[in-house]
Amino acid sequence: MTHFTIGRRSAIAAGVGAAGLLAADPARAFERDGNRKIMVFAGGQPVPVLDPHVRYDWSTRMIQQSVYDALAKYVNDPPQIVPWLAERWETNADQTVWTFHLVGNAKFHNGDPLDAEAVRYSFERGLRLNKGVAWMLKDVLAPEAIQALDVRTVRFTLTRPMPSFLTFIPLWFIVNPKQVQANVANNDWGEAWLTTNAAGSGPFRLRRFEPQSIIHLDAVADYWKGWPQGEQRRLSGFIYRIVREPAARRALLQRGEADMITEIPADDFEQLKTARGIRPADHRGMTTFAITMNTTKGPTADINVRKAIAHAFDYDALIQIHNGAATLMTSPFPEAIPGHVQVPGMPRRDLDRARQFLAQSRFASGGFELEYVHVQGLEDPRRIGLTLLNSLQPLNIRVNIVAQPWPTMVSRGSRAETAPDMVSVYVTPVSTDPDVIAGKYHTRAHGNFWGMHHLTDQQVNAWVDAARVETDEAKRNQLYADIQRRVVDLQPEVFGMLANRRWLMRDHVRGFAYCPLRLTGEIDVHPMWIDAA
Amino acid sequence: MSATRPSFAQRHAATLRQLRFYAWSFGRSPSSMLGLAIVALFFALAAFGPWIVPYPLDATGAMNLGNRLKPPSAAHWFGTDEMGNDLYSRVILATRTSLWVGLTIVGAATVVGVPLGIAAGYFGGAVRAAIMRVTDVFLSVPGIVLALAIVAALGPGILNGIIALAIVWWPGYVRLVEAKALALRNEPFVEAARAVGASHARILAVHILPNCTSPIIVKASMDMGLAMLAAASLGFIGLGAKPPAPEWGAMISVARTYMPNWWWYAVFPGFAIYLTVLGFNLFGDGLRDILDPKSSRG
Amino acid sequence: MILFVLKRVALTGLMLFGLVCITFTVSNVAPSDPAALAAGPDATRDMVETIRREYGLDRPLPEQFVRYLGGLLQGDLGRSIVTTRPVTQDLARYFPATLELVLLSMTLGVLVGVPMGMVSAVLKNRAPDHATRFVAVSLVALPAFWFGILLQLLFSVQLEWLPTSGRLEVATPPPPPLTGMLLFDSLASGQWATFGDALSHAVLPALVLSFPCLASILRVNRAEMIEVLGSDYVTAARAHGISRLRVVCVLALRNAMLPTLAIIGLRWGWMLGSTVLVETVFDWPGIGLYAVSSAIAGDFKPVMGVTLLIGLNFMIANLIVDILYGVLDPRLRTAP
Repeated sequence: MTHFTIGRRSAIAAGVGAAGLLAADPARAFERDGNRKIMVFAGGQPVPVLDPHVRYDWSTRMIQQSVYDALAKYVNDPPQIVPWLAERWETNADQTVWTFHLVGNAKFHNGDPLDAEAVRYSFERGLRLNKGVAWMLKDVLAPEAIQALDVRTVRFTLTRPMPSFLTFIPLWFIVNPKQVQANVANNDWGEAWLTTNAAGSGPFRLRRFEPQSIIHLDAVADYWKGWPQGEQRRLSGFIYRIVREPAARRALLQRGEADMITEIPADDFEQLKTARGIRPADHRGMTTFAITMNTTKGPTADINVRKAIAHAFDYDALIQIHNGAATLMTSPFPEAIPGHVQVPGMPRRDLDRARQFLAQSRFASGGFELEYVHVQGLEDPRRIGLTLLNSLQPLNIRVNIVAQPWPTMVSRGSRAETAPDMVSVYVTPVSTDPDVIAGKYHTRAHGNFWGMHHLTDQQVNAWVDAARVETDEAKRNQLYADIQRRVVDLQPEVFGMLANRRWLMRDHVRGFAYCPLRLTGEIDVHPMWIDAA
Repeated sequence: MSATRPSFAQRHAATLRQLRFYAWSFGRSPSSMLGLAIVALFFALAAFGPWIVPYPLDATGAMNLGNRLKPPSAAHWFGTDEMGNDLYSRVILATRTSLWVGLTIVGAATVVGVPLGIAAGYFGGAVRAAIMRVTDVFLSVPGIVLALAIVAALGPGILNGIIALAIVWWPGYVRLVEAKALALRNEPFVEAARAVGASHARILAVHILPNCTSPIIVKASMDMGLAMLAAASLGFIGLGAKPPAPEWGAMISVARTYMPNWWWYAVFPGFAIYLTVLGFNLFGDGLRDILDPKSSRG
Repeated sequence: MILFVLKRVALTGLMLFGLVCITFTVSNVAPSDPAALAAGPDATRDMVETIRREYGLDRPLPEQFVRYLGGLLQGDLGRSIVTTRPVTQDLARYFPATLELVLLSMTLGVLVGVPMGMVSAVLKNRAPDHATRFVAVSLVALPAFWFGILLQLLFSVQLEWLPTSGRLEVATPPPPPLTGMLLFDSLASGQWATFGDALSHAVLPALVLSFPCLASILRVNRAEMIEVLGSDYVTAARAHGISRLRVVCVLALRNAMLPTLAIIGLRWGWMLGSTVLVETVFDWPGIGLYAVSSAIAGDFKPVMGVTLLIGLNFMIANLIVDILYGVLDPRLRTAP
């Protein structure tokens, strides 16, 4: 751990304190640890809470996925679920009982075997804490309904058929009950301890955890699942460096101090993707962007106003803002979600039609102002707001662009009376379950941030309720197709685009594999390595 | 009749002489004159900005994505921003926002702080204790921290920024005026006025307040710049003006993402802030040298 | 003297209470739901409710206030809903970084400000004096956040002389923690390379942070010096054949010490506040960055904690300055 080469500026730094500039090694490309390499990844988002049952977002998930394992794992594009801690599983005919058979050799970092009891404990913990991942299963799974049948078999008995049960399994990580129980304080299921510590079985173990600046992981040499790139090439460690300024991240990559970066402004990406020594990764994402409109009050309660807005909006600008790295939505569903259909007649910019719609509304000549709210500090929604303002000028509709902190926005949006006229909403599906996306337009979505339209449509409700328990795939897909068309017709949102997910890496980085079901900037570190002398 | 009445110049000979002296000593200092020039330019741009900039619509939501992030050129002196808007126009038009911000914050702080300060200094005792304790509480936290908390709670926007900064700005005036009033209340002419039965209101208005004006003017002129700087800082953290309204701090906040390749985007608004604050500081410094020479240290 | 100190300490307590009142009011004026943030985007309503209960946010405001005060008396500043940790723990983690930055920039301010002030005074009204005064005003007028970015781009991105952000190279293991201030800890453990590394990270943010303080020190030293140089005492010393240089360096320095100290005391809390901007630019993991990121997330317990900590620092610094002045200048002891 003391064999790191000293880079150019460290040499100068060292020169300030002691010797001279003789140790300078001008072109460092990566951190070394003896013969092995450490990969450095820079992003802008901290990892405040590591507990896998309490929180997930892209940066948190990336670390969780590295230090923990789940029964199954999402890989590849289009996404597949592959066995991981479970070597196989089966379900009964109505998909209410799921049985998982564990591999025999999995063990936690401290040497404890990973058995069925650990799996049972972890799921119970997630449900009892009622945070983070709990929403996925809490309605169908009681903590008592999880049984460890023997050392290597776990059974889940659901309260209703749930065809999508498996799609959530990769998101529930398994913690070591013994370690957690040893650190319980005030009946907290070890929550305080797991916030900054780990009790996992994953390919990496935690070495240094500074939530706001650096997270340093060490590879587990004898990882039970092995290393796909081979023992020779595997990394010695992984460093996630939190660098909030995009310009600073860019500089790190250019200077070779970071091997890979994410959260890159579109214009930077354009410039760097062809730079020497740098390789881009640019993939179609799953995060939908929409401008959700309040369907219950103000001018946007009028469907013709909503349709007028949707036909006045400058969709090309959305693509231009992302320098072409985005695709317009062809349905309320992202393409990678099963059941997606291309809905005919998705609104595109057509000012004549927009004026016609407006003329049919109660506000024929415009002359009103609408509030557009976006999350404070986010750059793209701000620019989209400016586009919206510009797009609606021909209709004589003014736009008041307001940035608010996320909690304030959600708090306002939870009630129809206070929900803003228009809100920018990004939704990232965490699984391939179409019910989660379709559920956005169900009455039960009211109160969630994606339910800020406060739409109530009995037809949509009935179809969504029917589809989530329908075990016949063809029938289910038919229902989802109906829902998509109906939702487009009701226009609770201006359906926007799916922005690409992008990374830039040094050209010695190997083993990167895209999977749309990871969250925005997240990468899977396990198969990666650095190919350089 | 007009012959019997002394002319304006005669009646105010002493005052005019004093003013002429002020002007002369102010003019003797090159840095003060530089300050005056910058401040004058600033006011002129704020007043006439919309008529002299080439693209006034660029501050009200125009966009031209095909023309974005273009370097400075004959058509766009300061280049263009990420929406294709002319930065020269936006930087100039933002002077009005800044002026408004500076005037409102300093105005509000003076209106609240000066009467409280006078009351505290003149009446003393429990009144003074109460006012000064509250003032001290506010002064014990750097304004930017408290303002940050206030704006974070109220939400971004110029008006909220002004409210937040005005809330943290008034105590400085209380401190300033209180000390002055405290010194004045035992002056012979004030005691004399009290002895002949003048009311508190009259003493305050005629004897105390006029004698406090010099330091207030000096502080206000220095604070104009500092208030604009503070507002720009809030804008930088992301708590500034709502788009598309042009505001320097908010422009830098967006522009830093585009550094260093699109350097002009951050450089010009930042330079505008620097120049403005510098102007008001130099101007205030010059005023202090002539109006309030004793306090010109520290 | 002891009475004077006791009185001031009691007053400090009272002022802290006032500060709590202000910050508590501020954090509750807007409708915000930090629990929704902590619960995550997909959380159901009852999950948000779980968190709200856990943090006592479901209680009526007066009760929350009393609880907060009660906690405060036991040194508990509540829990951050974003980091889920007690605010005191977070502050203990981030404060040393800020302290290091402020101490370093104070040092810079003194090392540069004092000599510049002296030079300015000796060459009063000549070109170097005008230049120095102009620089002093400029330093106050520079938007720290903007100038910080420019310096960062010049020295880190273009010239590659200095690191862009953070406190240490990623691969440099931090020195054994003593104070949490890396510069101090690395020196204490004799790790020179680590010290150099930490110093190269700290120099730009410290420089930017030092500007306003440097300007004040410069001004005060100049003024003090001009006064000293004009005094009979100096004339007498000169008449006795003591060299001008010696007079300036010894007499004037001694005289300038007290006001410089006072400036440091007065600027102390203020500089802690300025870190809000500087730490944001340089990704310096101190209390300023902590306050900004918490405020933007609508997580107010940390903001209150930082405000109180800075307020406390400010009051203590003032107290120390007053006591020092009291010791050195007994006339002030009777003042309130």
